[in-house]
Amino acid sequence: MLKDETKKSIEQAIQMNKHGVIIMIELPINAYFEMNSSTITLLTNHGFQGIYISFQRPFKNISSFFESEGIDTSTLLFIDAATALSGEKQHEDARCIHVSQELDIDELVKAIYLSLPKLKSQKKFIFIDSLTTISQYKPLSEIMRFSEFLIKTVRKENEENVILIFNVAKDLAQKKFIRDVAFHVDQVISVENNE
Amino acid sequence: MNDIEKISKELNNLPEGWIVMLETSPEKMLEVSLSTIKFLSDEKNYIGIIVSASRPQKNLIQLYKQKNIDTKKILILDCISKSQSLNLEEASNVLYLESVSSLTNISLAITASIQRIPGDKFVFIDSLNSMLIHNKPEIFVQFIHGILTKMRIVGVNGLLISLENETDKEVHAEIAQLCDRIVII
Repeated sequence: MLKDETKKSIEQAIQMNKHGVIIMIELPINAYFEMNSSTITLLTNHGFQGIYISFQRPFKNISSFFESEGIDTSTLLFIDAATALSGEKQHEDARCIHVSQELDIDELVKAIYLSLPKLKSQKKFIFIDSLTTISQYKPLSEIMRFSEFLIKTVRKENEENVILIFNVAKDLAQKKFIRDVAFHVDQVISVENNE
Repeated sequence: MNDIEKISKELNNLPEGWIVMLETSPEKMLEVSLSTIKFLSDEKNYIGIIVSASRPQKNLIQLYKQKNIDTKKILILDCISKSQSLNLEEASNVLYLESVSSLTNISLAITASIQRIPGDKFVFIDSLNSMLIHNKPEIFVQFIHGILTKMRIVGVNGLLISLENETDKEVHAEIAQLCDRIVII
């Protein structure tokens, strides 16, 4: 569970009354996924619908956990990059957008871009579960290109409120490419280990 | 609370398809491994798929017998014996793999074993530190990510054991964030 202070920081960021808010959340490694789940709960409770890009876990694992936490998963679309990276067959589900096993950054970008209009709410989010996990597979130049595209997309969505969230493990937040991405975000929220 | 009670408590209260990182000291590592395997096979009635990069099958079987672990509930993927030209004892519960650095073969063997063994089971990676001696960190992280994803797809439980504070900080963080729980004993 997120502490009230962290919740408040996220709530303040999403209520900035500004189009295209970009947040980086630094999470402790001992409760990484639970914290991700708490953030999604917070966003969906505020009427947001979103695209969850998962580099860490397969779709079914995430959706089951979210459902057990009371999250309405019908308000979410998933891009199951974890399964694609593992070479396994992706789950057939209307909420799960397929990407090929090569996980080309342009394909990923296209999948996100085409999925945004499918969300019905005026309040939308794009949630990247871990920037460092994808960096194990792709060159840093590609990760930077991916991040820049998302940042530009969110900034130019003039009519709608789109929030972009990059999650990183706190222990890896000092990596140079993470600092480079952090330089372009509106707010960095650091979640304490004991939350 | 002693170590065995702590292991039982931590592993008792997890959702199906859990992945846990166990961290301990070099002095306790063997006892923690054996107690965990005993708890999961005896109390939980799971079948254990042991990926051993630390000890050969012959030695493991002796230790399991001393600890009264039912070896019929264990399959050992031995990554040591073949590469060290040890005597490969014929047994139904062992697969001898080329070496600790043959990550593709290890991955295929884990996947095949998961498919072959019916019922509740767990995969025990013993240990991250031993495997990291023989593999490049970035390749090893990819291997673990791939294996954990495959395990999560089919809902198989997993344990990764490592030495506390002795694993490269970045590798540790990359792998730990993929786990449901980190248990320090």
